[in-house]
Amino acid sequence: MSFEIPDELHYQDSHEWVRVDDGTATIGISDFAQDELGDIVFVELPSEGDDLDAGSDFGVVESIKAVSDVYAPISGSVTAVNEDLLDEPELVNEDPYGDGWMLKVDLADEGELDDLLDAEEYEAQLA
Amino acid sequence: MIYDQASYRDDSDELYEPLLVEKASKEVAVEDGPLPDDLTRDTLEMPELSEPELARHYTRLSQMNYGVENGPFPLGSCTMKYNPKYIDQVAGLDDAAVHPDRSEGSVQGVLDVMATVQDYLASIGGMDEVTLQPPAGAAGEFTGIAIARAYHRANDDERSEVIIPDSAHGTNFATAAMAGFDVVELPSGEDGRVHLEALEEAVCDDTAALMLTNPNTLGLFERDIEQIADVVHDAGGLVYYDGANLNALLGQARPGDMGFDIMHFNLHKTFAVPHGGGGPGAGPVGVVEDLAEFLPDPHARETDDGDYELYEPAQSIGKVHGYHGNWLNSLRGFAYIARLGGDGLADTSEKAVLNANYLATQVDLEIPYGPFHHEFVASAGDLDAADFAKRMLDYGVHPPTTKWPELVPEALMTEPTETESIETLDALATAFDNVLAEDEATLASAPNRTTAGHIDQASAARNPRLSWHALEDGEE
Amino acid sequence: MSDTTEPGNPFTPHTPSDVEQMLDAVDADDATDLFDIPSAVRFDGELGIDARGEQELKREITETLAQNDELVEFMGRGHFAHYVPSMVDELSMRSEFVTSYTQYQPEIAQGFLQALFEFQSMLVELTGLEIANCSIYDAATALGEAATLAQRVRSTSGDRVLVPELLHEGKRGVLENYADGPDLVVDTYPMDDANVDVDGLEAAIDDDVAMVYAENPTVRGTVEENASAVGDLADEHDALFVLGSDPVAMSLLQRPADVGADVVVGEAAMLGLGTAYGMGTGIFATREDYLRQVPGRLVGASEDDDGRRAYTLTLQTREQHIRRERATSNICTNQAWLALRVAMHAAHLGADGMVDLAERMVELPTELAADLDALDGIEAPVHDRHHFREFAARTDRSAADVAADLESEGFAVHAIDDHLLQVCVTDVNEHATDDLVAAMEAVL
Repeated sequence: MSFEIPDELHYQDSHEWVRVDDGTATIGISDFAQDELGDIVFVELPSEGDDLDAGSDFGVVESIKAVSDVYAPISGSVTAVNEDLLDEPELVNEDPYGDGWMLKVDLADEGELDDLLDAEEYEAQLA
Repeated sequence: MIYDQASYRDDSDELYEPLLVEKASKEVAVEDGPLPDDLTRDTLEMPELSEPELARHYTRLSQMNYGVENGPFPLGSCTMKYNPKYIDQVAGLDDAAVHPDRSEGSVQGVLDVMATVQDYLASIGGMDEVTLQPPAGAAGEFTGIAIARAYHRANDDERSEVIIPDSAHGTNFATAAMAGFDVVELPSGEDGRVHLEALEEAVCDDTAALMLTNPNTLGLFERDIEQIADVVHDAGGLVYYDGANLNALLGQARPGDMGFDIMHFNLHKTFAVPHGGGGPGAGPVGVVEDLAEFLPDPHARETDDGDYELYEPAQSIGKVHGYHGNWLNSLRGFAYIARLGGDGLADTSEKAVLNANYLATQVDLEIPYGPFHHEFVASAGDLDAADFAKRMLDYGVHPPTTKWPELVPEALMTEPTETESIETLDALATAFDNVLAEDEATLASAPNRTTAGHIDQASAARNPRLSWHALEDGEE
Repeated sequence: MSDTTEPGNPFTPHTPSDVEQMLDAVDADDATDLFDIPSAVRFDGELGIDARGEQELKREITETLAQNDELVEFMGRGHFAHYVPSMVDELSMRSEFVTSYTQYQPEIAQGFLQALFEFQSMLVELTGLEIANCSIYDAATALGEAATLAQRVRSTSGDRVLVPELLHEGKRGVLENYADGPDLVVDTYPMDDANVDVDGLEAAIDDDVAMVYAENPTVRGTVEENASAVGDLADEHDALFVLGSDPVAMSLLQRPADVGADVVVGEAAMLGLGTAYGMGTGIFATREDYLRQVPGRLVGASEDDDGRRAYTLTLQTREQHIRRERATSNICTNQAWLALRVAMHAAHLGADGMVDLAERMVELPTELAADLDALDGIEAPVHDRHHFREFAARTDRSAADVAADLESEGFAVHAIDDHLLQVCVTDVNEHATDDLVAAMEAVL
């Protein structure tokens, strides 16, 4: 089975992705991750204004039979949270790189992106 | 076909069983009673049905439910054996129904049974004292770990860690956390057992206890159990026996003889107390002599005069239940043990192990770990174990526990128990093999011959509706 | 021994030839060869337990239990009896209910799931809270679970829980054990004539308090008149208000949600079970806000693939088998079958029946207390409050001596202090109240 792995994103080996636009990082989980978890029924996210440290857990994704922590790929302050996921957690399954995004973060250190995987490296990790 | 409920799937919906309130309910105003209005509620709405209507309602509900008497129930780790009828009858005796605050002198019969079943369990487990206080297995674990905590504290040796193998029941982890310990997870060795070197690395001055199930959740006996106990004891820790799989060892081996210091029994698994749809159970805890003074309050014992009394052990951990645990299940457990006797208990484990081993030879699935005892963990291979289980329902049998332990991919954890006949085991094997021969699409569309079709778990969790009030709100 | 005529387990179906065939199949000479147990820990002794036939055993148990004195019990303090209709016994004993397991395969467990859903619904109605689980072991363990929930959901840290100075010792003791792991401290607040001393509570409460516990009715049987004030104080300090009650009391007394309760715990076994030496049916209800922190099992409504309503255990990611050391509790086995019996009994009573029974529980202690008060050497009730099922009485003689003498006369009451008795009267013993009064007169 093949999974969608958009080229322009940065990935973390714990299956979170980051997209950077003008200093704002958008964070979500990968297509592979949503498939592994199965039907996602609940997403717990931080609040706007919370500060994240790269590598620390920022929330929880629950499917019917599994619970998974999600880890911040980069450090920064949370500027937006995807409120739609509270009512429609299935968006993470349906569109993990689009409507299923989780957080927007004010990127603190652009250098941290270098520590993440690119699409090719991430794909290699899944293989 | 052992159990077929396909007739409930009639399109006409005639067989659908409405909620009690959908049949009839009544809202009454609470007023003009003996209390002033400001101390009472305003209204109460409850179902309002005659006894004959209720009798039909609950009979219909029972028909929409599968129990041990409907067919085989090989749910691994749960020991779903036949529940003899007389044990429920003795639990219903009028003299068993006494108030928990009665004077000890006036309830000598109850205390006699309690002290005797404590002795029976102590003998079966190779322990010195047993408390009947914990009302379930998980409560037994909590009691046992609280005893370990109290023991270390009494030695001015506060310890912070509990070691648990990765294949253990989830309750072990939850129990250790509830009692305030950090969990140290022990990876299993390649043979599915505890790896001595890994254990030696895991123990330290902070090790309060190791929690271990034996045979473990793969059905394997921990052959190195004496060395395992030595490693933990040498580090100053205690060794806790999770009694979930005791049905494999009755009269064959005893946790106390293996070096365990604390153990719990599951009267609702090993000792035929009916599971009751998820409880009540009973989780008595046995301890070695050095730990007896930490047992919960109160504890029953026989006095030198041959009377029975309750007392508070010298360094008791205190209370783990409001009164005396699930007393009626202590009584049921007594009735089961006394009916079988020592020889009957030994025979129980022999037949349980024989049945599991026989069934394993009759199914075509891969069973990666052995030799197993009262249960085996087969792999559904390329098939999804959960789908496999749903399809087994269509063959009129209850499926095994699925997807756990995770050491076996797509696990089917199977425990037939001693009370199944060879004919039933053969029918069960046929169900396994038939499902194995089917394609994924057939499995994914199952079950078809049950009261309800495949139930949407995701929408139940995304949109929790947990009462008829929530259902009504949803319809508005 | 398996293939001989010696007594074995009478509940195994194996004939000697079955055993032979099975041993052949597994390639063993004897079932004992299948055990992979090192000889050093193999048990070759005798367990010392004699087998008995069913008839003999039933006689033995009947005779053993007959050592209990036959007393008419006027006892309560958290463990109560109401008359359980025969229907409850007969129908709950159907083997499909009794011998079933936790509903992990909901497609063949719709009956029990629906019954538990109905049980949850009745508690939602009685408490006014949105969520009720399908039972905890008993009232004491439910209180322990409430304390840890309070700690988890509170937005600021706080390690104290406040309980009334008058609290059943079983509840207090169990709470202490649940509090130990998460380092909670159990403190008390004062009572005033067996109701909450609101000024005393206000003095005791602070922002480090995670939970305030109160009961209605109280352990002395008094109806709590200050429940709303407790709710307000808890609210002001961001503490959870946990209220202890029972389904019969809640049928009449102020609805917990209306007095600001965040959690309701308590005992429901007075419905469906009655006296069972303390065996109970713990209840646990709370607000929707705390849904994901609820301990224990929850049944939810869903649909099957034909679109018909169906029930299933839900939100299981809270539980130990998935979340392990981060579970809300280690509880799995609960009191499900007793919850079924509670629901059956409550449905049998209906709304009128529940309210009538509850009103009778206010009248009966008032009447009995008045009758006792008319005697010399006893004052009843001690507390100038409304009562529910039970009341305290002050005796001139030692209460323990009076209770012991009453026992000789065939009655059981509580001695709760040097000169305090507690007497509980419900529909199951009201026929004997005149006899109790006569016996009391004789022993005072």
